[in-house]
Amino acid sequence: MEFGYMNKWLKVNLTLKEFKDFSISEDILRKYVGGKGIAVHLLWKYVSKLEEKGINVKDFDALSSENMLIFATGPVTGTRSPNSGRHHVMALKSPLTGSIGSGNSGGRWGAKLKFAGYDGIVVIGKTEKPVYISIIDGSVEIHDATELWGKNSIETSNHLRNKHDKKRAGVSCIGPAGENLVPMAVIINEEHRAVGRTGLGAVMASKNLKAIIVEGNSKPNIAKPDEFNLKVKEHVEKLKENGVTGEGLPTYGTAVLVNIINQNGMFPTKNWQTGVNPDAEKISGETLTEEYLIDKHPCWGCVVACGRKTKVDKGNYKITYTEGPEYESIWALGGTTTINNMAAVIKANHYCDIFGMDPISVGSSIAAAMELNEKGMIPEEDLQGIDLRFGNADAVIELTWMTAFRQGLGFWIGEGSRKMCQHYGSPDLSMSVKGLEMPAYDPRGAKGIGLNYATGNRGGCHVTGYTIAAEILGDVDRFTTEGKAELTKIFQDFTSLVNSSVNCLFLTFALGLDEYAEMIGPITGWDVNSDELLTIGERITNLERMIINKFGITGKDDTLPKRLLEEKMPEGPSKGQTVDLDTMKEEYYELRGWVDGIPSEEKIIELGLK
Amino acid sequence: MKIFVKVFASLRKKYPNITDLNPLEMEIDKGTTLAQLIARLNFNQEEVKIILVNGLRASVEDIINEEGSIISFFPAVGGG
Repeated sequence: MEFGYMNKWLKVNLTLKEFKDFSISEDILRKYVGGKGIAVHLLWKYVSKLEEKGINVKDFDALSSENMLIFATGPVTGTRSPNSGRHHVMALKSPLTGSIGSGNSGGRWGAKLKFAGYDGIVVIGKTEKPVYISIIDGSVEIHDATELWGKNSIETSNHLRNKHDKKRAGVSCIGPAGENLVPMAVIINEEHRAVGRTGLGAVMASKNLKAIIVEGNSKPNIAKPDEFNLKVKEHVEKLKENGVTGEGLPTYGTAVLVNIINQNGMFPTKNWQTGVNPDAEKISGETLTEEYLIDKHPCWGCVVACGRKTKVDKGNYKITYTEGPEYESIWALGGTTTINNMAAVIKANHYCDIFGMDPISVGSSIAAAMELNEKGMIPEEDLQGIDLRFGNADAVIELTWMTAFRQGLGFWIGEGSRKMCQHYGSPDLSMSVKGLEMPAYDPRGAKGIGLNYATGNRGGCHVTGYTIAAEILGDVDRFTTEGKAELTKIFQDFTSLVNSSVNCLFLTFALGLDEYAEMIGPITGWDVNSDELLTIGERITNLERMIINKFGITGKDDTLPKRLLEEKMPEGPSKGQTVDLDTMKEEYYELRGWVDGIPSEEKIIELGLK
Repeated sequence: MKIFVKVFASLRKKYPNITDLNPLEMEIDKGTTLAQLIARLNFNQEEVKIILVNGLRASVEDIINEEGSIISFFPAVGGG
């Protein structure tokens, strides 16, 4: 493939300490584009290979050396097209959920991987001692990383950039939480950008792989440079003119959502016991901007700059410099725990970044522990003197680092709320889907996002299909279930395409499928249109679903916590609402061509997945 | 009729002290529309993208009927 790609993938077998290049054929690229799509394709092939070897993937241990970890970019990554520094990471299995492992990160690592000469990296096996991989200008080396083990994400990144004398290199690494195999550990790049969900940091750590540093001067060729440059200009103008990408996100960051979600009465509070938080203003984007913001911080090639550089000048949670927090972190660490203290949230979020953990899962699991404690389910000796009340900021800070180091109750927080709530005898208090803690929108106030959480392949996730854009930020009736199946399907398939391109999902506030055709077409030279791109997204969603079906995950798992299905929202603008999931799910399966959560033979053939 | 107004995000450039915790108390005539309220607050209709009345979506032509209503005004906002 001449254009858009580097035409080279790296396969690393850490057990054998061997690596080799391979390429992906153009017909496969046209079917899956790149990023998540190619990763799903490779994982599906790997499932077949494991099955041929007689390995039952259902019982497969996510932390076994045979788990496959894939870092992937797409044709848009690293081009002049806006917001294209991102990359997607997948593993066959997540240690947190037992479903597929999947996450997407900003930063610059994705672009730098392409500049180093590769479209992606596949890692299998495990070394005896810690190692890191360097890919500099096409040259690959595996190095001893014993001296890096124990270092946090900032120390690791700085050490490697200095050692290789590459000050602007991309470094993806794990922190101590990963090393301690915390199932909600993340892979961090550029110190504060995370492949955040499903515990991919623990998978990386299980291979004794501490970091991957990438740098180089290669660039992907563009098939139609004049047309591409024209479209880049048009797309940037649209992003600048759009109220969300041109003003809301640059000025306030994603935390601008705190107030609007709370005003709609769907800001999950006290472990989702209510959707109304009277003190949400204290942890809002407006407060963050006024009192803690140093500057905004764009990812590579980004024209939006939702990233935040922040500090806390006074009080118990002083910190001279950090980045974030963004909306989800603020909600998880500060909203559902009800601490409503921005300085404490910034500190806890900083710990998540440097130790390498997912703040959504950490905060949400702490909130679940708070409710367990409220109901008297946690024995005194397990609390070790921690005052685990909703609203106690010190408890959140303490439990965050205890989670990273698997200390005391931190062990169970790190296992995730599903396992923790089972352990303490109240499984219904885990606000998770397929074992992944749900993010910051209570679907009793927006029904489509509930269907999206329930049917997400990786579990309870908003960025699988962000229907909030239509139901809260757009004009679609948020309480009705009508039309939500189609809405969810389109959002999910479009997102699969975005994560395969690979660029930033926030572009979709201003750019639609037609604009994606205007990027991918001139870059690759393909004559693509929006219909073909949406079908590619659908193909990827279905193939990912076929993989999790192999794990025994089917319609029974496409559900929501009992609280959302049965307990009426007790107060506020969404008062009295529950989620009528079954009605939406039936329509969704019909639209998808799925039977009980499994793609039908006809659908598999239609999408060319036979 | 007494109502409470809250403004958010960039709309606070005009009213920096009006927050969720400190809404603006206003007297309006019965039959006042949201468009008239927007004008009284010196906003352009174009800059107000989302209006909630007591947390429920409303449009500019809607009339404010209820004493004590909370009216929330937002510009274009989004995130994830």
